[in-house]
Amino acid sequence: MITIRGLRKWFDSRRGRVEALRGIDLEVAEKEFCVLLGPSGCGKTTTLRCVAGLEKPDAGELEIAGVLASSPARRIHIPTEKRDIGMVFQSYAIWPHMNVFNNVAFPLIKGRKKIPKDQISHKVRNALKLVQLDGLEDRPATDLSGGQQQRVAMARAMVTEPKLLLMDEPLSNLDARLREQMRVELRKITKAVGVTTLYVTHDQAEALSLGDKVCVMHDGEILQMAPPHEVYARPANLFVAQFVGEMNFVKGKVAGSAQVECPLGTLPVQVPSSLSAGSSVTLAIRPEHIKLSAKDGSGASLVGAVSSKNYLGDAALLEVVVNGVTLMAKLVGDVELTVGDEAAVELPVHRWHVFP
Amino acid sequence: MKAEADLGVIGRVVDVKAHGLGLFSSGLLALLILMVGVPLVMVVLMSLRTGFPGEGGALTLANFVAVYSSPGTYKVLLNTVLFALGTVLVTLVFAVPLVWLLNRTDLPLKGTIYVLMTVGILVPVFLRTIAWILLLSPRIGLVNQWARQLFGMDHPLISLYNIPGMAFIQGVSFVPSAFFMLAAAYRTMDPSLEEAAYTSGVSKFQTFLRINIPITWPAIAGVMVYLFMSAIAVFEVPAIIGFPARILVLSALIFTSTNPPTGLPDYGLAGAYGAVMLIAGLALAYFYVRLVQHGKKYTVITGRGYRPRQISLGRWKWPALAFVLLYLSMEVFIPFLVLVWASLLPYLQLPTAEAFSQISFNNYETIFDFVDAQPFINTAILMLAVPTGTMFLSVLVSWIVVRTQVRFRGSLDTIAFLPHAIPSILLAVGLGYLGLAYRNFFPVYGTIAIIAIAHTITWIAYGTRTTNGVMIQVHRELEEAGKVAGASTLRVLGRIVLPLVASGIFNSWIWISMLSYREVTMALTLGTRKNLVISTIVWQFWGNGWVPQVAALGVLLVLFAVLVVGILKIGFSRFGGEFGSGN
Repeated sequence: MITIRGLRKWFDSRRGRVEALRGIDLEVAEKEFCVLLGPSGCGKTTTLRCVAGLEKPDAGELEIAGVLASSPARRIHIPTEKRDIGMVFQSYAIWPHMNVFNNVAFPLIKGRKKIPKDQISHKVRNALKLVQLDGLEDRPATDLSGGQQQRVAMARAMVTEPKLLLMDEPLSNLDARLREQMRVELRKITKAVGVTTLYVTHDQAEALSLGDKVCVMHDGEILQMAPPHEVYARPANLFVAQFVGEMNFVKGKVAGSAQVECPLGTLPVQVPSSLSAGSSVTLAIRPEHIKLSAKDGSGASLVGAVSSKNYLGDAALLEVVVNGVTLMAKLVGDVELTVGDEAAVELPVHRWHVFP
Repeated sequence: MKAEADLGVIGRVVDVKAHGLGLFSSGLLALLILMVGVPLVMVVLMSLRTGFPGEGGALTLANFVAVYSSPGTYKVLLNTVLFALGTVLVTLVFAVPLVWLLNRTDLPLKGTIYVLMTVGILVPVFLRTIAWILLLSPRIGLVNQWARQLFGMDHPLISLYNIPGMAFIQGVSFVPSAFFMLAAAYRTMDPSLEEAAYTSGVSKFQTFLRINIPITWPAIAGVMVYLFMSAIAVFEVPAIIGFPARILVLSALIFTSTNPPTGLPDYGLAGAYGAVMLIAGLALAYFYVRLVQHGKKYTVITGRGYRPRQISLGRWKWPALAFVLLYLSMEVFIPFLVLVWASLLPYLQLPTAEAFSQISFNNYETIFDFVDAQPFINTAILMLAVPTGTMFLSVLVSWIVVRTQVRFRGSLDTIAFLPHAIPSILLAVGLGYLGLAYRNFFPVYGTIAIIAIAHTITWIAYGTRTTNGVMIQVHRELEEAGKVAGASTLRVLGRIVLPLVASGIFNSWIWISMLSYREVTMALTLGTRKNLVISTIVWQFWGNGWVPQVAALGVLLVLFAVLVVGILKIGFSRFGGEFGSGN
């Protein structure tokens, strides 16, 4: 549905050229929900705006539904209004001088597809029903709450039944509870309509729960492109490991093809073949994979002291200090351990990640 | 028992404080009503009286009958409307593209252009008008002299002495203020409103028509109304070009009624003319406020976290720069160069070899043969007293309006805004009448104080707008944190609020000082031989036909203003600018 090859974009500022995109390659299949995830300034919004045609890329090619939409080398740039897309903006961009009905109807009346007049009202009502705003047609746009504006923006983006839906941090201006609710609803709506979606966010929980595919971006590049569970379970590099989910990091040195020395001892973990003995590595393990139990004298290899406990209700986060290294462990259910307790620490070997 | 007594004391103290605030606010309201209202009442009163100010007699409608039964009046009204419409048109033709170019495109040299626009405000309108006359007058104008010489033309190539000419010069002069008003409105528009239309498949033209125009319309209409209101009231261009061309507008009529070249002033006629102007001004001000409120409703909705996209001009960059240069030439370069040229010569002539051989600083050296030190002292008094008084009142008013819950704070704000709607010439005429008719109670006629009072009343509208803006920026919680820390109200105001708003207040202090420095309408209307200021001196020189002296004094006037503003701005940005809450 979308094919991006070697997309580059730079801005000339007073301090010289700033590379916003350093060669993006991306493939989004029909009806796929693809999430661009990354910290601010990583190029995710620029990528989305290039797909929308709101930015002109400086190099590379962009294809939408088999049609070449942007190719600076061939001097092709289809303007935004000619692309078959719908877009939801971070600020919602609800036109303040129109009511809800007119906001949603505008793409049908003045848009790229000419719709027979008698169908407009029907289509608008359907779109509003989809986002559960039916009955608010006559409300002025200036009288809507944030959540309602968000829904109007959704209805407006979907009303023309575009092949491609683009969303730029649509939930970031909502409060936490509403955001979670809308997240579930968003997934339901896009799946029900079957629209291909490109979604930008800096919130990893949003990315993992919404995407069929997650692209983690940093500094104008895609670092990893994979289904959410794979991004979480097998981060491609140190940045992805840091950015997605919680992670404990321990510095170490390669001691052999399957041995790493670190303050926790010599761990029998698989080392990437590119690393020779003696090179520095970072070991990583997720808090939920660390097992803690009350020390019962049964010859556990590692012992740590609990230094803090953060109760979360369904789980608890505990910090343990082992050989001078502070590790965060997430324990599900009721936890007997309290601050000051000695605990036996178990670090399953197959849960460790090794990064150069 | 002890605790209860303590609580009682605290309760009483709070009560006294609230009472004090109420009393203080009422006092301020009364003062403002007096300052703004009395001159207006005077205008109404004088329109209903005949004879010299202070001569009682029964109230009569004779002035109105005299004015509105004369067909000449309607000719004047028509001229006024045509002049005002033309002015608005000229201003928008330049201001709207400038706003777009400087806010939404990658036009080069933006910083320099901003500075030159500010300099444009500092060149007084009457000096610019004089410079254009020196260039385009049918008889002495350089362009027409040159055309006569070159083509042997027996009639002038171009003349300013008509309504389009007047509207052109006035319109160009209004561009900077219109630009800054429109730019503020434009910047609050979220560009994603426009992008949302593109992504909906709406063409660029339809988007401009259905999204950009309707959303920015309240702001544009507001600026149009404001400009129209100002154009009806301006006096300088109508006097300098209109009088010799016998094209009279309302403001010129009001001025000649109270300052006739021969005979006694007729305040009654001035009042009858002024009544129309006053009604028009108030009605337009009402529209203006409505439009601004409507516009605000539209900007409330914008989200955060957007960055405006700059449109690349590409090969249109040079035509765009040429347009900006054309405007800046008309606003700043040409008038200033013409003045400099005229100031260096014994009489106005074309730049020939002969003319260059006569260049000297004679006119600068001999200025003090024509004028003594008093006008300079008077001007200095205005430049210090007017901004200080205005900003003092503005800070107090804004503090009550923005920060307290006083019941009538809305009325206080409205009254402070009202001078915006009152043509300054009317205010001056009203004050002049007050000073003449009631000189026992108000013994300031003919002194510099009456001009200072007129200026202060006029700019309190501008002053309170900026102090309101600055005060809103200082979050209420900063003040509350000070109170929680145990500081008294006065100390919180002095140690927390004032330092934070200082740079904003200082900025408008400079501006008001400069506006007072270059103001001529009120200074002339209230002028006698004893309270002359520099701007009225230039005016007198012009009346006497002393062109080189006018030019020399004018050049000094502009250079001094640019110098003062430049030094103060640079100095302040070095010391206190980091708060950056100004403007």
